[in-house]
Amino acid sequence: MKFDTIIIGGGLAGLSAGLRLREKGQEVAIISSGENALHFSSGSFGVLNEGAAVPEGHPYTKLNLSKYLGEVIPFFGKHGVELHGDPMKNGWRLTPTGSLKEARFFMEETDILDKDEKIGEKALIVNFLGFMDFNTSFIADGLEKMGTAVRLEALRLSSMDRLRENPSEMRSVNIARVMDSSWSEIVAEIKKLLKDEDVIILPQVFGLKDTAVIKSIRDSFDVKVMFVGTMPPSVPGIRTQMQLKKAFESAGGTILMGDSVVSAKIDGGKVVSLKTKNLGDHDLFADTFILATGGYFSKGIAATPEKVFEPLFGLDVLFSEGRSSWYDPDFYSPQAFMDFGVATDGSFKALKDGEPICNLYAIGSVLGGSGALKLGCGAGVAILSALAVADSI
Amino acid sequence: MTRDYKDNEFDVIIVGGGITGAGTARDCAMRGLRVLLIERHDIATGATGRNHGLLHSGARYAVTDRESATECIEENMILRRIARHCVDETEGFFITLPEDDLDYQKKFVESCLAAGISAEVIDPKDAIRMEPSINPEIIGAVKVPDGSVDPFRLCASNVMDAKLHGAKVLVYTEVTSFIKEGDTVKGVKVIDQKSGQSAEYYAPVTVNAGGIWGHNIAAMAGANIGMFPAKGALLIFAHRVNSIVINRCRKPANADILVPGDTVCVIGTTSTKVPFEECDNMHVTPDEVDLLLTEGAKLAPSLANTRILRAYAGVRPLVSADNDPSGRNISRGIVCLDHEKRDGIKGFISITGGKLMTYRLMAEQATDAVCLKLGIDKKCETATTPLPGSEGGKIEEVSKKIWANPTTPQKASVGRAGTTAAKIPLKDEYDQALVCECEEVSVGEVNSAIENLDVHNMVDLRRRTRVGMGTCQGELCACRAAGLLGKAKGCTEKAKKDLTDFMNERWKGMYPLAWGQTLREAEYTQWVYNYVLGLKGE
Repeated sequence: MKFDTIIIGGGLAGLSAGLRLREKGQEVAIISSGENALHFSSGSFGVLNEGAAVPEGHPYTKLNLSKYLGEVIPFFGKHGVELHGDPMKNGWRLTPTGSLKEARFFMEETDILDKDEKIGEKALIVNFLGFMDFNTSFIADGLEKMGTAVRLEALRLSSMDRLRENPSEMRSVNIARVMDSSWSEIVAEIKKLLKDEDVIILPQVFGLKDTAVIKSIRDSFDVKVMFVGTMPPSVPGIRTQMQLKKAFESAGGTILMGDSVVSAKIDGGKVVSLKTKNLGDHDLFADTFILATGGYFSKGIAATPEKVFEPLFGLDVLFSEGRSSWYDPDFYSPQAFMDFGVATDGSFKALKDGEPICNLYAIGSVLGGSGALKLGCGAGVAILSALAVADSI
Repeated sequence: MTRDYKDNEFDVIIVGGGITGAGTARDCAMRGLRVLLIERHDIATGATGRNHGLLHSGARYAVTDRESATECIEENMILRRIARHCVDETEGFFITLPEDDLDYQKKFVESCLAAGISAEVIDPKDAIRMEPSINPEIIGAVKVPDGSVDPFRLCASNVMDAKLHGAKVLVYTEVTSFIKEGDTVKGVKVIDQKSGQSAEYYAPVTVNAGGIWGHNIAAMAGANIGMFPAKGALLIFAHRVNSIVINRCRKPANADILVPGDTVCVIGTTSTKVPFEECDNMHVTPDEVDLLLTEGAKLAPSLANTRILRAYAGVRPLVSADNDPSGRNISRGIVCLDHEKRDGIKGFISITGGKLMTYRLMAEQATDAVCLKLGIDKKCETATTPLPGSEGGKIEEVSKKIWANPTTPQKASVGRAGTTAAKIPLKDEYDQALVCECEEVSVGEVNSAIENLDVHNMVDLRRRTRVGMGTCQGELCACRAAGLLGKAKGCTEKAKKDLTDFMNERWKGMYPLAWGQTLREAEYTQWVYNYVLGLKGE
């Protein structure tokens, strides 16, 4: 099979690049092994923390940052994902532990707050009885410190009874699946509970299929309704990923779901073809290849006790020598290993043995030196490197 | 005893809530004494919870230390009876590799038999069939009655029984000084670590059961015990690779025991002398990890490709003989010191040396010494009286006696709590909902532990219930457990701090292994906690 471009990886970076290339009329295939970082999304996309400086060699230094930031909301909107926020300025979201955390773009259910904003005078936090991945008292603790009075309620809904029969079924996605069809039950229950509160807080377990449920719930009340994240899996993240995938397919893109690359043929400084697990001996050919395989969790990079490596092409990886330099004994301090990843030239072409492979680009979390967690730029690097690379092909 | 007691007066004060202190508290309480057990941290935080969890048959010591070997096999048989909910009767192999001397096997078997340990030479082919993870190159195998034991559960059961017999237990309480009148220890001054309040407790006898920290406790009372802290590092693998304990049939050396325990297996240990200052903060070094992996793969080659969950280290309380100030003549046997005879300090006993396996015997010796001082003539019954949870028949049949059709979470709780699971609220689907999927720990079990088992924080909870000990190392369950803990204790702020500390404690065991699957898990956990949840460290 022959394509113009083959993208390895179906996460935020891979899907963004695929959609952009389809806009330009390319024949594109995405090889996706399944889960990706959107499955543990925060319901928002970070671009860069306030006051953080972009270090030398960072992916942002290789693209026109302000141009692409302005394109994010229209680009996603066109493909069915509504994002909110000021492209040039951070907003804050209420986290599942009741703190405020900054980001640039926000998914439908994630409310944008000002830094240190008090969300209201009185909040009613509503949970499903027995849903432990939404810690209402943690949120209450944070809100009370910011001056909001809080009342906690846990609802026992008959629509949840079937889930409860299995001791490990009360999880976000399962609840969202039920709520997609029976959300009106919770609205009726909350109406009975609501007293003089000026804000209602619910877990982000609504709108797995689409965002209509979220809008309907908001429209059912005169007071503000906020949705706060849960423990993974992330319902807004999964919905976003499914929508981007659907948009890519309906735009005529090819997606090889549940497949993974097992080997690559490189000849004369160029990638020629790929072999995948499902296609066996049927090689995949393309003019251009994009590596969007993610970090350690997605197996885009991997580590032995001695080194960090890129498993598919054996690309150059930026990492420090000596395992004890990879980590900090304090879990909450910046971890060096989080910044390791593939080395690229000034136009995101991947390096192997110090030389760029002329038709292989690396984008997203597989990139080294992006400081994704430390600088709060994980999603930003994924989206912007994808758009920039797609535009350069 | 027919004394009138004030609230802060006891017959015996035991310092140290490891297995030795817990066992001594139980024995003393069973003999009718009014007991106070004081522990600076949580129970089982020292060497008690930082070893293989091996139910030694004694075979390991048969050639080099007959006395220890005999003690082990006797206690082994006792624990199978009194602590059946803590014991897994796996059996054990001593294998000979091509590089080892097969002649040693003959001497080994003879020594085992002489010590009363059954030792059966098995054809290597049969041994591999019985335990397929064994290195296929082996040239010899001997079967012995090894097993595995959960030290957390064992310690908690001893504490539980001590309390059932009237003992008072103070955790997170540190002894700051001894109250002495002339050369007699009259009691202890303590500080409550949580409240910062100090208090005084009195008893005619105080027992020092502080493990390696007993060195400092003895010094505080004015006695010197020649102790040598020996660090032992171990690795936990994410799968139960072997179902039978595998040992090397040679003189005891590094990393030559692989013990299956619950859903995991443990390789160890190393042995390094460390300064006393390091005992409170043990770190496993990259060299130790490499050594454990290399040697471990010789026992079971598949370990080389098995995910490693954690690295940890404990400190053995080795004691040098009193007549040997050089410390060369170090014994691993039990040391029970009456400081009146030894140092002229009345009312003070130290029980140290020994090992997890012989804790009950150590407790018996210490309690005998206490009773002698108090003039009490009462027989020890700990060798025959089952611990709470182990009464009645086979553990496998317990769940059916409690519930008509036991569910998976109910069965899992019996696996941990034995017959005491009957007291855990596990009736409806809310109680049975799983907090920790890796270890199948339910809401009911967590709540019951918080209420009944002196749980003050997430790490305590892990020791009682195994929450967070599984493959995800607490990534998902920690948050849920923190929610339940915050609710039960009525303090969310503390629960948040607990969660923060718990993740750091989990990380401590992961970063020495920061490659492969551990690094994958770590990256995910970093994103979830530091980004999605927005949890902040100190």
